[in-house]
Order: sequence, then structure tokens, then C-alpha cells
Amino acid sequence: MNLARLVYRNVTRNGFRSGVVFFSALLLAAVPFGVTLITEGGRAGLQVVLSRLGADLLIVPEGAEIKVETALLMGKPAQAWMPRQNLAKIRRLPGVAQVSPQLHLATLAGAPCCSAPEMFIVAYDPATDFTLRPWLGQQGDGVLGLDEVLGGSQVSVPKEKANILVYGSPVRLKANLARSDTGLDQTLFMTFQTAYEIARMSSTRAAQELVVPTNQISAILLKLQPGVAPKDMVARIGREVSGVTALQSPELLRGTRRELTGLLRIIFVALSLAWLLSVAVTGLVFSLAAHERRRELGVLRALGSPRRVVFGLLLAEAVVLALAGAASGIALCLAIAFWFHKAIVFVLEMPFLFPPPALLAALIAGGLLVALLSVGLAALVPAWRISRMEPASAMRE
Amino acid sequence: MFDLKQVTKIYPLDGTRRVTAVRELSLSLKRGEFVVITGRSGSGKTTLLNLIAGLTRPTAGRVELDGVDLWTLPDREQSALRNWKMGFVFQFPSLLPSLTTLENVLLPVIFRPAPDRNEVTDQAVKLLEMVGLADKLNALPRQLSAGQQQRVVIARSLINEPEILMADEPTSNLDNQTEREIIATFEKTHSLRGVTVVMVTHSRYPAIRKARALEMAEGRIVNDSRS
Repeated sequence: MNLARLVYRNVTRNGFRSGVVFFSALLLAAVPFGVTLITEGGRAGLQVVLSRLGADLLIVPEGAEIKVETALLMGKPAQAWMPRQNLAKIRRLPGVAQVSPQLHLATLAGAPCCSAPEMFIVAYDPATDFTLRPWLGQQGDGVLGLDEVLGGSQVSVPKEKANILVYGSPVRLKANLARSDTGLDQTLFMTFQTAYEIARMSSTRAAQELVVPTNQISAILLKLQPGVAPKDMVARIGREVSGVTALQSPELLRGTRRELTGLLRIIFVALSLAWLLSVAVTGLVFSLAAHERRRELGVLRALGSPRRVVFGLLLAEAVVLALAGAASGIALCLAIAFWFHKAIVFVLEMPFLFPPPALLAALIAGGLLVALLSVGLAALVPAWRISRMEPASAMRE
Repeated sequence: MFDLKQVTKIYPLDGTRRVTAVRELSLSLKRGEFVVITGRSGSGKTTLLNLIAGLTRPTAGRVELDGVDLWTLPDREQSALRNWKMGFVFQFPSLLPSLTTLENVLLPVIFRPAPDRNEVTDQAVKLLEMVGLADKLNALPRQLSAGQQQRVVIARSLINEPEILMADEPTSNLDNQTEREIIATFEKTHSLRGVTVVMVTHSRYPAIRKARALEMAEGRIVNDSRS
């Protein structure tokens, strides 16, 4: 028999009391951990999109910002067009190092000519590209040939087929990009030449023709010369090139970020209320439990337990329950995030990536600490008060 | 051994009303005595026991054990004193419901620094044998009768081999047969181990040989006699 065993027995043999504290701790840890996991996961997803683009600015047709964001984040096909001569206008602006055009296309929903039900297609210009080329370089010869495509991590060749069918044209999947848990995972990358060839052949091969407007492009990726401020370039483009919107990297996906911030605010308020409620419930449970156990604790004092031991005993019980509840809550969140990953992405309409291990470890530690401090705080006053009582007073009804 | 000097204990009832449980009481208890404190309900006998044991602080006066004022000691030393020198048997069920019989008997040991685990466990088993509960080592309190629970409490009160045994109406909820057995256990402990016993009991106090009887009324000792 020792104090640790006494703590264990008190915790395991008082089911209701322990259960309430356990579930309070579970909530106290799971709610902030789950919310932070999702928001950090969303943030990590956005970061991946930004770094994959590898550009300082993304220039899109005016009014198409949200459509392009949705396409990049969720892989939801979007088409928007602007004149190709914008490329030349922007290339001539002082401070521009590189520009590269893109075509944004889509496969047909449910059409027999396309292997995938609905897929975002990005066509790029190999001559000017600076975002995919470095990655392709790691995969082999660094170029995509005619009728060759690069797929996001979820793009695959249909079973028992040798190629992917796009508007009736077979294309060979040369390689897959690493998983990003963003729209890029469902995106097909091909060269302009391949896209034009598929469009040309689609009139005879596909149920519906793929139309790529002549001398039109969907987006321009821009890399700045060193020392040029992105916001100055955004202002210059706004002044000198009409009908386009330049999105600065940090501001890129601004709409989604705004949604994320809005979501965070709501969550923060809800979280604060939930935290206060949980601390209050836990405090109440401890107060009631301490009162109910007054005589028992008085007996301990009479038998020779110093005040600090009674105080420590009550806090140790709280800590054990807090850690058990918090660990369960965190494990539950991780399990939900792992098994219902797609549902989270679907509901939030936002990319979601598990944060890097170091951040995840910090989040877990934070969740445990929040529960530990909250439950400890709730138990502190009742434990202190009961431990300060005279043994005879504590034992009196 | 114990010296109570002009001890008064007043309890607050509410904001303004107070009740005086013990009034300017002076008393000396000698080592090895068997003291029985009797009196009607509300006469202050339980408060007197609590004062002697250091379980409640006197409102006025001093409580000394071997010349040391108990209330000048810090909590740690006072607790150690109770743990080492005193054993307690209470009127109410005082076993911890989450612990087995054996664990309850061992409870006072956990407040001692580094006890020999095997030795104290053997001692606890012997004490449970002494009170006739050797077959109930792993029973929980709710599985024992009131009399059996009280006998476990007596075993617990002796685990640290105390010099003084404090008992507050230890037989009040028990039948006559069990009461006789419990009192016999106290007498046996007193005579065999030389333990000082201070026992509070109701007015029909049991016949105990060589006991010192203190009768209380309205917070004062009104009769101090020896049988």
C-alpha cells in the first residue's frame, strides 16, 4: 500500500466522479487540439499550394480569383480566359524575371471519352515554365513529351488500361507529384502542345469538343527580379495591364485565408465558452467530490496525513484523470482526422494536411497541457480548502 | 503524558451564535491509563477527545503531550505525532470504501517514511487475525458487517503500534455481543501492550476493570473516579 496505489484505487473505484472528470478533460483537450489540428492542417495545405506554384505572383483574369483558388485548392475544374498578349505586356514590365502562361481546362463530367469523372487540367508552356520543370528534373529527363502527362498524387491510370483517356485521346501518365492534400492531387499537368493536340482531335474522338480559345490563356505565373517588392509589381500591373488581377503569393488564396480566419474567430469564441464551461463543471465536480469525501479525508488527516499529502492526493487524482482524458481526446481527434480525412476536406472546402511531426508533437503536448492546467485549476481550490480543514471539522457531518 | 490546561472550545453555529463545547477544562492523563469519558449527548466528550488528540484546535488554553504544546508544532510534525503515537477508532464507519480490508489496515503506514513493506503486511495480517478477520483480507468494507468494519478499524488503529488509542463511541452502532467483543479487544490491547486508552462512550458505559471514568456535563468534568 502506498500513496500511488491509493490514488489509483480512488480513481478506479469512483466511476461516476472519475467519469465526469475524464470526459471534461477529454473535451478540454480534444476541442482545442482538434480545432488547431484542422486549422493548422488547412494552413499547411495552403502552404503546399503556394510552394508548389513557386511563383511570386499569379495573374488571372479580373473576377476569376475565387474560381482559380477553388480549382487550385479543391481540384474543382475552372476555366477563365484572358488575351495572350497580356503575357508580352507583363514580360516587358521592369522588375519581371520570368513569366509563364497556363491553360486551365477540365475533363467532362461522366463522359465516356474521359477516364476521370471530372478533373482539373493545367497546361503549361515548357519553354518558359519554372514551376514544374525543377520537379520534373528529379523524375528523369525533365521534359514531358507529346501525349505525356504528369498527375497529382490521386491521378492514376484506370484498371486494365494502358493510358488515361482525355477527350478521346490516350495520354501516358509519366509520373505523379507528391501528395499535397490539395486540388493539385487531382490535377493533370500537360504541355500546351498536348492540350492543343487533344483539343484538335476532340472534334472526332470525343462526345463534346474541347475548345481552347485561340490566343487566350488562363493564368500567368510571374517570378520577380531580386529586390523587387511584390506589392509594387501588383500595383504596376493594376495600372498598366487592364482586365487582370495580380495575386501576391502571401495574398494568394486570400479568400480561403479569410474564410479560415473567420472560422478561427468563431472557433475561438466557441472554444473559450467550452473551456470555461468545462473548467466550471470540473470545478463543481471536484467541489462536490471533496465535500462528499470530507469525512474520508478527515480520517486520513487523523491517521497522520499532513495537509500537503491530502492536497497532493486530490491533485494527483485530478492529474491522472486529466492525462487519461486528454490522451483519449487527442487520440480520438487523430483517429477522426485520419479516418475521416476526405470528409473534413469536403465539409471545410479547404485542403487538409497533417502538420509536420514537430508541430504535431507540439500540438499534442499543448492539448495535454491545456487539459492538465484546466483540470488542475478546477481541482486546486477544493483541494486546498479541504486540506486546510481541521481533521475534526472535516469528519463532522 | 497529556496535560490540558484551562482548555475551552467554542464552535460557531452561524454568524452570531456560538456554542461552548468545552469550558476551561484542566486534565492530566497518565501513560498506561484506561480512561473512559462518559456523559450525555452534547456534554462535550467527543470534543474533549478531539482536543486531546490534536484533531481540533482549542479556542483557549493549552494541550500538551509530554510537555510539548501540540499547537505550537507545525502541521507536518503534528501529523507525524498522530501517525506514530496515536491510534483512532471512530464512531462512524471510517474505512476507505475503495480499499480492501488489508489495505485499510495498512493505510496509516503510507504516511510513515520508508516502512518495511513485508514486515508491515505481516503485522497487518496478524492484527486482522487478532480481531478474527483473517479470512476477510481482500474484502471491501461494503462486504463486511458494521461490527466487522469496526474490528478492522481497531486493527488499523494498532498497525503503527501506538502509545495511545483514542476511541470515540466505538460500539455505539453495534449489538451487545459485538460491543462486548470490541471492549474485550480494547482491554486486551491495554493489558498486553500497555497502550493508553482514551475511550468516549455513552452513559451506559461498559464495566471495564481498572478504568478511570470521567463524566462530563456542559463542557466540564463533573466526576473523575476509578473503578
